[in-house]
Amino acid sequence: MQYTLEELLAVEVSRHINDDEMGFVGVGTGGAAFIRAVGIPAVASRLAQLRHAPNYTIMFGPILDPVLDADCIPETNFEPDLIRWPCRSQITVEEALCIFKRGKMGIGFVSGAQVDQWGNFNIVCIGDYAHPKVRLPGPLAQPDHAAHAKRVFAVQKHDRRTFVEQVDYVSAAGNKDRSGLPGGGPAWIFTELAVMDFDPRTGRMRLSSVHPGKTVEQVIERTGFALEIPAEVPLTEPPSAEDLDLIRTRIDPSRKWLNAQITQEPATLEAD
Amino acid sequence: MPEKKVKRMALAEAASMIRDGDRVAVAGSLIRRHPMALIHEMIRQRKRGLTLFGWNNGIDFDMLIGAGCVKEAHSAYVGLSNVGLAKNFRRAVEQREIRYVDHSETCAIDRFRAAATGAPYALSKTPLHTGLQENPEYQKEVTDPFTGETWIALEPFHADVAIMHAHRADPYGNVQLDPIRMMDNETDMLICKAANKVIVTVEEFVDEEEIIRTNQQTVLTKLFVDAVVLAPYGAHPNSCDLRYVFDIAHAREYQAKSATAVGFRVYLDEYVYGCKEWDEYLAKIGRKHLESITRMDIAGA
Repeated sequence: MQYTLEELLAVEVSRHINDDEMGFVGVGTGGAAFIRAVGIPAVASRLAQLRHAPNYTIMFGPILDPVLDADCIPETNFEPDLIRWPCRSQITVEEALCIFKRGKMGIGFVSGAQVDQWGNFNIVCIGDYAHPKVRLPGPLAQPDHAAHAKRVFAVQKHDRRTFVEQVDYVSAAGNKDRSGLPGGGPAWIFTELAVMDFDPRTGRMRLSSVHPGKTVEQVIERTGFALEIPAEVPLTEPPSAEDLDLIRTRIDPSRKWLNAQITQEPATLEAD
Repeated sequence: MPEKKVKRMALAEAASMIRDGDRVAVAGSLIRRHPMALIHEMIRQRKRGLTLFGWNNGIDFDMLIGAGCVKEAHSAYVGLSNVGLAKNFRRAVEQREIRYVDHSETCAIDRFRAAATGAPYALSKTPLHTGLQENPEYQKEVTDPFTGETWIALEPFHADVAIMHAHRADPYGNVQLDPIRMMDNETDMLICKAANKVIVTVEEFVDEEEIIRTNQQTVLTKLFVDAVVLAPYGAHPNSCDLRYVFDIAHAREYQAKSATAVGFRVYLDEYVYGCKEWDEYLAKIGRKHLESITRMDIAGA
């Protein structure tokens, strides 16, 4: 059965979501960045609820546990539509962030301009911090996710500009040194090529599976550091017919999430 | 009988309360409800040497920075959301024209809360093992006296002035927000309470009887407020909850013009220096265009 890259990633992310936990995503920007940071986590969340995690809840900024069925998803991700999105509670941003500090956040979804072998993320600057080559908008709540969430998930673009030996600025702490940090740190990285996790003994990123039609060589070629590669690398399991049916008919029929239609800047990851 | 103090005033008079070198706390978040009418007036009055405090900022910080009003700024984000990077901000940091201090969202809000509650400092673990530990004069490692754990103590955001845009107020400075609103901006009240002086612009004035009738909507009483100013569409091009949506077309024009310092000067000449007051700016944006971003379904709120 044919499926898109976005569908493959949403289904794969959903498999790593646990029942009885909470996840957090921002309300996002537009285009391909939106698909990675918001669209895929949103569809994965609803799919997990329908398949194996009925008590999983998600927080979109101040919007707690919204109704994720297609007919309730807002027309745009602009303020008046977000305010009217049916949800169980609208909470203040302070309360939302206290959920992190109290250790009640299961998954923090992040994405960065750079990620390194330890799972440090950077969305602050390229080049020297004091005199950057490119100044980016800043870390938002990413450092809070990395410090406090039980697990950090990231949907990332896979190239050598993004997967670097060492990030230029640590805006989210990875596995190199977590002394004093209550959260669990980076757990899973999902890209257009593969799925990565972290070796619990060394804290370094390792290849977990490659997507159908992609190769380990491609992953190595597009990673700017020595990724740990197990002797046998399985293929990422393709979406089932039932997964695809749920996504296409019940969760995201008009592609608001997986192709960023909600942002009015439609995109695909293949074209990015 | 002595009269109660009327705090309603003109935009120019309110902005004159802000002095060169002040630490200014700016309410609003991302592309939402920043006090833009006041920011235009600050630029027209050519404020200099300001330090800005915010937790998620956009065109508000970018415009003040591009206009040369700022020497230092603190936030967790300065960008234009869907529209992309904030180019004046980017240029000023890359060329080291301002000092910029990065925070996480919790750290910035914690620093406001510490100031608002009179605490000597905020405590956080978020900066551990990150670049946020740069700028050591604002943060020190401390040991929890009960557990021995390491925490980062953050200096409160003690602001001279806070500026906020709200939905309505009475002339005495009792400020209200519509009951249904984006909860991201509840931090605004902490931001105002962190400052010595507070200036609030509003979409509309109501009389004191209406405030008394709907007192559940009062978010700041006159005790906290020094000036209230009428500024319809005062957050434009940012959104204002259910009243009007982010003006993405204008934000794109802003961003295109701010691609270069010269281009940004053209923008300022047209939309800020070229307008004596906020009404002139709104006329330039155009009634028809403003109608296209207006939602105003607060009746059903």
